[in-house]
Amino acid sequence: MHPGRSESFIDKLEETVIAAILGIMTLVTFANVVARYVFNSNLLWALELTVFLFAWLALLGACYAVKKGAHLGVDAIIDIVSPPVRRVLGLISITVCIAFAFLLLKGAWDYWANFANLPQTTGRWFPTGFEESFRPKGWYEVNDIPHPGFLAWMEDVFNDGDEYEKLPRLIPYMILPFTMALLLFRFVMAGVAIWQGKSDRIVASHEVEVELAEVREQRGEG
Amino acid sequence: MEVGLLFGLVIGLMLIGVPIAVSLGMSSALFLLWFSDTSLASIAQTLMQAFVGHFTLLAIPFFILASSFMSTGGVAKRIIRFSIACVGHLRGGLAIAGVFACMIFAALSGSSPATVVAIGSIVIGAMTQAGYSKDFAAGVICNAGTLGILIPPSIVMVVYATATDVSVGRMFLAGVFPGLLAGGMLMLAIYIMARIRDMPAGEWKGFMEIWLAFKDAFWGLMLIVIIMVGIYGIPGVTGAIFTPTEAAAVASVYAFIAAVFIYRDMGPLSTEGDDRPNLPLYKKPIALVTAFFHADTRRTLFEAGKLTVTLMFVIANALILKHVLTDEQVPQTVARAMLDAGFGPVMFLVVVNVILLIGGQFMEPSGLLVIVAPLVFPIAIELGIDPIHLGIIMVVNMEIGMITPPVGLNLFVTSGVAGMPMMRVVKAAAPFLAVLFVFLILVTYVPIISTWLPTVVMGPEIVTN
Amino acid sequence: ACDDGEIVIKFAHVTNTDKHPKGIAASLLEKRVNEEMDGTACMEVYPNSTLYNDDQVLEAMLQGDVQLAAPSLSKFEKFTKQFRLFDLPFMFKNIEAVDAFQASDAGSAMKDSMQKRGLQGLAFWHNGMKQMSANKPLLSPSDANGLKFRVQSSDVLVAQMDAIGGSPQKMAFSEVYGALQQGVVDGQENTWSNIYGQKFFEVQDGITETNHGVLDYLVVASVDWLDSLDAEVRDQFMTIMDEVTATRNAESAKVNQEAKQAIIDAGGTVRTLDAAQRQEWVDTMLPVWDQFKEDVGQDNIDAAQSINAQM
Ligand code: NA
Ligand code: NA
Repeated sequence: MHPGRSESFIDKLEETVIAAILGIMTLVTFANVVARYVFNSNLLWALELTVFLFAWLALLGACYAVKKGAHLGVDAIIDIVSPPVRRVLGLISITVCIAFAFLLLKGAWDYWANFANLPQTTGRWFPTGFEESFRPKGWYEVNDIPHPGFLAWMEDVFNDGDEYEKLPRLIPYMILPFTMALLLFRFVMAGVAIWQGKSDRIVASHEVEVELAEVREQRGEG
Repeated sequence: MEVGLLFGLVIGLMLIGVPIAVSLGMSSALFLLWFSDTSLASIAQTLMQAFVGHFTLLAIPFFILASSFMSTGGVAKRIIRFSIACVGHLRGGLAIAGVFACMIFAALSGSSPATVVAIGSIVIGAMTQAGYSKDFAAGVICNAGTLGILIPPSIVMVVYATATDVSVGRMFLAGVFPGLLAGGMLMLAIYIMARIRDMPAGEWKGFMEIWLAFKDAFWGLMLIVIIMVGIYGIPGVTGAIFTPTEAAAVASVYAFIAAVFIYRDMGPLSTEGDDRPNLPLYKKPIALVTAFFHADTRRTLFEAGKLTVTLMFVIANALILKHVLTDEQVPQTVARAMLDAGFGPVMFLVVVNVILLIGGQFMEPSGLLVIVAPLVFPIAIELGIDPIHLGIIMVVNMEIGMITPPVGLNLFVTSGVAGMPMMRVVKAAAPFLAVLFVFLILVTYVPIISTWLPTVVMGPEIVTN
Repeated sequence: ACDDGEIVIKFAHVTNTDKHPKGIAASLLEKRVNEEMDGTACMEVYPNSTLYNDDQVLEAMLQGDVQLAAPSLSKFEKFTKQFRLFDLPFMFKNIEAVDAFQASDAGSAMKDSMQKRGLQGLAFWHNGMKQMSANKPLLSPSDANGLKFRVQSSDVLVAQMDAIGGSPQKMAFSEVYGALQQGVVDGQENTWSNIYGQKFFEVQDGITETNHGVLDYLVVASVDWLDSLDAEVRDQFMTIMDEVTATRNAESAKVNQEAKQAIIDAGGTVRTLDAAQRQEWVDTMLPVWDQFKEDVGQDNIDAAQSINAQM
């Protein structure tokens, strides 16, 4: 029993973003091969742009996968226990997930904040406040991707008016706190669904569940 | 002791139904917070760097995408027709053709379950109709599908190469002969069984059918050529054109073009139903633009993206665990303990085999490799085991893990594809499992099967660490 | 492993521990700190990028998760563009000139130049002078025309390759050997010890002794961590650091000469340039200086050149 396959606007949006990021990654890498082999030229930023997009894809996708119950897991045990036990295990599992997302959210904020000239949180496990003094890292640029002109305003906001030759790291890393907040939210929603009995697990046992579902459909098993 | 607690926590969480990725990440986070003074920010950094700092992992989404375009585009069907034309007339021919098709598809795809779905969803049905028992059909495909990770390209090899810093190109070459050997052994086993049990033989349709089937499958088979020539070049004609990672991206673009513009099974030139021929491009030139935004393209990209994501989230969290193990200098401790215990290469490889076979019961192969490879790699180097050979041994272990109960990826998928209960698939797969075990022993103790080709093409392996 | 109460000094680097100049220096530092500061401090070295690569390690250091690192000098261009000085082609005549510059006031000012951003340079560690290699003989800069060269992420190195008509390519380091061998890229630049250690000479036509640039490392720690140490502990640590640096830097020329000889012994081809040929390379690459003059500061260039003149 998995969360339903509803096709909301947000679903569509997320699916399009996932498809678009993967498409762009492929085309950029392909373009770099063409530039090098055909034109004896280069796209020096291609490699770095692709790995950042890769991170965006994986982190955004991880949030989507929670919503669809697609994260890989072991369901051998939850399949053989009785439904009430399964519900308890489900609630324990989702609690672990929520705690994990919470820790990661704090970690992601702490990692990113200084890059955006913002304070990290204090406290080792739980945020107990914001640090009072810190070294801003808004000046810290990536290695290869040039800073695009339309983001020139960022120089005043984050770099004391100094020019950015390359993209500041705060942009690619921004995905971390954003997706970890989303992940936390999605796990909470999944927890609510298990609590209400609308679903009984948060994992898929293998990577080709969708394909299998299609095969079953073709066989008329619905 | 503390490390035992860490692994216990990982496995315990997995078993109660926590996603594998979260089990790995949460255990690592707790361990760091309890036993070291590392910050939560460093875990976030490791998560980000799992992608940004491991460029070779990029091959994974690209190979998944190429394989998705190939499966969606009906290439599997054409490969099966070609395989049947070649070996279908032998006794047990359809089963042998199934293995053959799995081998070809494995050369297009980096994943075993994907190979089972693509080939199995057609061949198992066809075999049942031709008079084979469903159990036999399922057993054949379940086993042959594991070749997906042994015959290059292979996601698991990419992960091994990333975790140990050996060359992806070298690993791919190392898989060629073992892949052919394993496929050959399976086919031979089927042929012998077919003779004994007097299984059906298909009719010989002549060389013309082989030629026609080949022509029909040509554009799909070309992908193999593009990948291999692109990575290794042709001696005397051209040098290599791209790195293994780039090869994967080029393969995706090629597969897209083949599926949308050549076969036209998907995208704007495709038509509903088998009886209406697909449109030629000149009748709808706008397709050159719309193909990129067509619903089929978007769907294939999304499906490949989703698959990538679930695998990568496991791998990224496994890398967090790897970070913890490194931070606590666990590999060194394990290495010292094993060397102090006086393990020689043989005993060591047995231990590795056992660890992987057991670990394979709980974990998706890529994630398991990320964790186990750094633990055993330094010992292997110390004992003078070739890193490429070790990689192939690990891959073959992963293959076997996929078809052994209680938990095996290919067992699940085959049970789904064939519409059979798990336990029946387990029984059906068992006879061929024996073949793979013999193969594992062969590969483990005859290193030259793995190391000969990469050494010939790329020179002797250098170990710089 | 460290005992309770000891100050833990984690040192993450990216090379092996026993063959690479940096790895050897790190191992020596580890040995001496653990012997002489036993009970006070304890050093754990994480080699081979097992804990962090050069990019991550500086982030981790600012975060407080690692105490010591020694990335190549180009990595500090993010902190202050002055460090582009070391990437400029033919800025230093030889490694002795590099050494003298680093020991000068200008050099020690550079160690302090990143304090505002949280890093303190402790010591420059030499690898050595860079050489050029390709899959065809390189004697004149025009030989490099149209060849693809793998370069590190550095605008200066990109400009340098552009200047000789080469096509600079960005590539993950782990893919370089295969890419050179299979012909995905044609050439690269590196020190003798790296070319030997990575076995690049096996897959190149030959190496040309250009000595056109320098590949050095800066050992850094975070300002906050250094401030947290007792003055006494810090002094003892810095004394060991300085001694290790002096010992190893004195050996670096020898290490590179041995690597060069080992390449020749292994059948690699080494080509040398006569004065006229070398001048041709200098003239072709020199315009790069103008492009980055403002970044590195004319006074730094002048200081380097006056040291060259004394060599
Ligand atoms: Na494969
Ligand atoms: Na298994």
